[in-house]
Amino acid sequence: MTSFGAAIKRKEDPRLLRGDGRYLADLKLHGMTTAAVVRSPHAHAHVVRVDLSPAQADPRCVDAIAGTDVAHLPHILCIDAEETTKPFTQPLLAVGKVRYVGEPVAIVVVDGDRYDAEDVAALVEVEYDPLPAVVDAEAAAADGAPIVHEETNVCDVLHYATGDVTAIDRAPHRLKRRFTTQRHAGTPIETRGCLVEYDPRRDQLTVRTSTQTPHGVKRGLAYHLGVPQSSIRVIAPDVGGGFGTKLQIYQEEVLMCVLARRIRRPVKWVEDRWEHFVATTHGREQFHEIEVGYDDDGVVVGVRDHAVTDTGAYLARLTLVEPFIGVAMLRGPYRIPNFEATSAIVMTNKTPMNPFRGVGHIQAAQAMDGILDEVARERGLDPVAVRLRNMLRPDELPLDIGVGNVLAGPVIYDSGDYAEGLRRAAALVGYDAFRAEQERARAEGRYLGLGIACYVEETALGPYETGTVRVEPSGEIVLLTGASSSGQGHATVLAQIVADELGVAPDDVTVVHGDTDVVRDGVGTYASRSAAIAGTAARRAGQAARRKVLTIAEHLLEASADDLVLADGTVFVAGSRERSVTLAEVASAVSPFAGELPPGVETYGIEEADVFVPPTNAFPYGIHIATVEVDVETGVVTLLTLVAVSDAGRLINPLIVDGQYHGGIALGIGGALYEEIVYDEDGQPANPNFMDYLLPGVDNIPEIRLEHLVTPTPHNPDGIKGCGEGGAIGPPAAIANAVSDALSPFGIVATRTPVTPRRVYELLVDAGVVSA
Amino acid sequence: MKPPPFDYAAPETLDDALALLAGDEDAKVLAGGQSLLPLLNFRLAAPSLLVDLRRIAELRAVGRVDGSVRIGAMVTQRAAEDDDALARDVPLLREALRFVAHPQIRSRGTVGGSVAHADPAAELPAVLVALDGRVHVRSAQAQRTIAAADLYRGFLTTSLEPGEVVTAVELPAARPGTAAVCVEVAQRAGDYAVCGALVQATRNGDAPADVRVALFGVGQRPVRARSVEERLAAGPPVPELVREAAELAADGLEPQTDRQASAAYRRHLARVLVRRGLEQALERAA
Amino acid sequence: MSLHTISVTVNGRAHEAEVPARLTLADFLRERLDLTATHLGCEHGVCGACTVLVDGATARSCILLAVQVDGAAVTTLEGVAQGDELHPVQQAFWDKHGMQCGFCTPGIVLSTLELLERRPQPSREDIYRWLGGHLCRCTGYVKIVEAVEEAARNT
Repeated sequence: MTSFGAAIKRKEDPRLLRGDGRYLADLKLHGMTTAAVVRSPHAHAHVVRVDLSPAQADPRCVDAIAGTDVAHLPHILCIDAEETTKPFTQPLLAVGKVRYVGEPVAIVVVDGDRYDAEDVAALVEVEYDPLPAVVDAEAAAADGAPIVHEETNVCDVLHYATGDVTAIDRAPHRLKRRFTTQRHAGTPIETRGCLVEYDPRRDQLTVRTSTQTPHGVKRGLAYHLGVPQSSIRVIAPDVGGGFGTKLQIYQEEVLMCVLARRIRRPVKWVEDRWEHFVATTHGREQFHEIEVGYDDDGVVVGVRDHAVTDTGAYLARLTLVEPFIGVAMLRGPYRIPNFEATSAIVMTNKTPMNPFRGVGHIQAAQAMDGILDEVARERGLDPVAVRLRNMLRPDELPLDIGVGNVLAGPVIYDSGDYAEGLRRAAALVGYDAFRAEQERARAEGRYLGLGIACYVEETALGPYETGTVRVEPSGEIVLLTGASSSGQGHATVLAQIVADELGVAPDDVTVVHGDTDVVRDGVGTYASRSAAIAGTAARRAGQAARRKVLTIAEHLLEASADDLVLADGTVFVAGSRERSVTLAEVASAVSPFAGELPPGVETYGIEEADVFVPPTNAFPYGIHIATVEVDVETGVVTLLTLVAVSDAGRLINPLIVDGQYHGGIALGIGGALYEEIVYDEDGQPANPNFMDYLLPGVDNIPEIRLEHLVTPTPHNPDGIKGCGEGGAIGPPAAIANAVSDALSPFGIVATRTPVTPRRVYELLVDAGVVSA
Repeated sequence: MKPPPFDYAAPETLDDALALLAGDEDAKVLAGGQSLLPLLNFRLAAPSLLVDLRRIAELRAVGRVDGSVRIGAMVTQRAAEDDDALARDVPLLREALRFVAHPQIRSRGTVGGSVAHADPAAELPAVLVALDGRVHVRSAQAQRTIAAADLYRGFLTTSLEPGEVVTAVELPAARPGTAAVCVEVAQRAGDYAVCGALVQATRNGDAPADVRVALFGVGQRPVRARSVEERLAAGPPVPELVREAAELAADGLEPQTDRQASAAYRRHLARVLVRRGLEQALERAA
Repeated sequence: MSLHTISVTVNGRAHEAEVPARLTLADFLRERLDLTATHLGCEHGVCGACTVLVDGATARSCILLAVQVDGAAVTTLEGVAQGDELHPVQQAFWDKHGMQCGFCTPGIVLSTLELLERRPQPSREDIYRWLGGHLCRCTGYVKIVEAVEEAARNT
């Protein structure tokens, strides 16, 4: 029985279901103090004076710091900055100036709970001299805008050009459109938080933090604090969702370390939901002015794109990813060798942006699939047919599409059959039957629509991931992995891989992750990399452990490895089950207690470590088709079905994979119809709470039909591409396009998300369908 | 997001509660707390004292008086929703309650609390206005009733004086065969409405139907759509008359423009939702 | 700020405690009784993660004060399993992959218990109505609904 590919239940669940989860806010330490952060109420202001003394006078206050106390420590690092990227980096606490509502200005620590900490934080007096704020990227890039840092708000402009960039100008037809993707907040249901403890005996900080990258935080803390990495231990407890919001080291993590060392007592900070909306990185705010040149048959000759990302007030760790991916992956699965794009990164007085599930691919699909539908309408062609005409064929891959960046290298699509995906999606949605129903409905004055999004996604990023497999003399099997779970089920899927190597059940493999003292090296979980990269490291470590087991068993059973079988926790000679040893006996044979090592075995114990450096990225892809009904009297869009045909290579656990797609699709639906971070003209967040920032609920999710194609990637032995984000990529484009299709009799195109009832109403008014 | 400090009392009698409120102008009533506690958690309110009414048994009674139902202010929305006799007598109440937040909120939220909170996008104040209900009010010194038309002054503002507490909500019982409909536009189920309409209709054979229409989410307070009702009084409820009447739904409305909707959009929705509500209610009415 | 002595039964066990007026029920459970399975996701009553049962009816413990439940019986997720055995609702969530990060799950399990008490054979519509007030960012709800339907078959 192979575990790889089996839809088994998760090992993690019983504990969590009983209530034995231990998330950051659940943790308590003796002598623990509680911190609260004082944050800027202004979007843009000089900080004239910070007076901590009223807070310090409160008997509950143990410590308080402001910007000047930590000004000597380095700013938050942007690791994907190009040489041209202006260094608009963020200090740990504001000094001299605040640049967004929610920017940390001071921290108080109390001997007490969060109630006390908020009371004391309110006592800190800060005098601000407000400045005009800029909250729109185009306005920020124009002359005369308030300058967020210095000289200019244009932090960088990326340029890409490949093929013949003038081909578009000679094309028989050209269309140009702007597509706009709104600002999102990540909103995992668990907010951020950390609990830091300083141990003077080891001169070590133990940092428990709700993170996707414990090793990244460890390295970051060493950097910011100027201490050796060995003096820092980072532990990710149970993490209640990340989606990118927890993939970087944040100021609060560094600052709680500073405080814990100062007061020599544990310090706990839990972000509340209001804070999350202003203090945790946002995502997605980007528009594209995309121009396409095409021939009479709708075959695209060239694309030119100007993208602008509103990145907020400071560079964050991976600021350039959204601006890069948005243009680098713009062409999706389509054959467009003639391509030119610029991607401007503009600063505004808003919360900084960082990658958010699906990063950049969402916006790319909105623009590319949006304009392809316009091409189809202009030519009177079927949108599926136009796409099929333009799609790359399997034999054209691998394909270097002529763009790349510092972090991820060149973009080389690996493998896939995009057209087959589209054909399957069309079949799954019942395309012809839908078109017939759409026509009947129109005659009755009802407006149904269908929209398509086709994406190719860059995943499985390096730099590397680690895996160590140990077989203990007790027979226990342990996998140490650098992957770090925030709900993805790594403890189960990685166990499935190792279980196959050692002939045991997944329940017999204990997966350990999230503790940098136990898992000595690793990178973390983001960019849909864990199954592919951590999985490969686990596979290779498992294989090495298997080889050692066989070498030892050869000696114990006096047989050749070729004749040996690993199954049910034993090693036996094929065909004679009674000639067997258990894995415990095998491991005990090479314990130092056993004395001399068997021949051919050079080291004691069975512990095999692997580091997998992927040669390049993998490229899963997918086709989403959404059907909707638009109520042209109210503007309300009702989702009917969401079809997703996805190819993420081989799948370790189909149950978990389906869950990832369902969750991603729901997140995408949020972006398509409901979610938007809004700032008023003074830079005040208008909706920093769950009443006004709308996450989809159970009855906002339509029937979802999933189908999986499997085109393995050549870049890792299991052929895994990564499925964590694909679901989130297609829905905004597919749903916006469906609305445009529904309202095409009126010539309406939905070029902005979220497609709210109000936006639809205004489009209907502009088109004269509804009187104002 | 933790509340600021305050004192708390849970008196056993209404007189004790009213005395506490009279003695402290920064004291606030705690009914279900489903609106108040979030405000406290955001530190948007800082009362000195919360006077919890949960121990006062008389505020949980549901009684009938002269063709009206009197619902104690502390009756939870859940209890009201589950009460079949109440649903028979005031079908509009059960219909509207389906749209109020979620069951987990309705188990604590109270009828009186929602009526007194006066959120113009909420359903229950609109029920009171639609049915010409009234509230019974007491203070330490006096008692009075306030008619729906006189209760709602503006956004979260009523004509209740400091120290006054709603003790009961009184709604007229409907004739048998009356149909009640709530239609609203809200992005998700349970959200505050962008715009909503309540319609109650009782047929009278060939005579004009008795129709009550109220709108919520259309400005500073819930609004009775009197132009609509007057138009419908002109004849039997044929589809043409219904359409004409619905066109008048925006009359007299001064809706707000905010992030969710413009004033024009709200006026438009008012007309659409009233038409749909009338059509549905008249179809269901016996 | 006033202090109050409250008597509350939690998961069948009687507790007496002195609490400040402003302490929420959620924090009373989490900090005073170390029952941390009741999670705080928003603290304004929208996400549903903090949902518990108070005298058998679901309520959001983040917008309830501990003093308001004096004399009441509260059930949290920790009180749902029957000794070592998972309750059929918990088992169904495991069988159907009804959770991923698990943070929203406690509230959903308790709401499901209440739903099945009131409606042993819930329709899809009943399930949507009862779980409409629970936000999940991980699962997309599909397998949560499947888990509830499975639980209904097995309870």
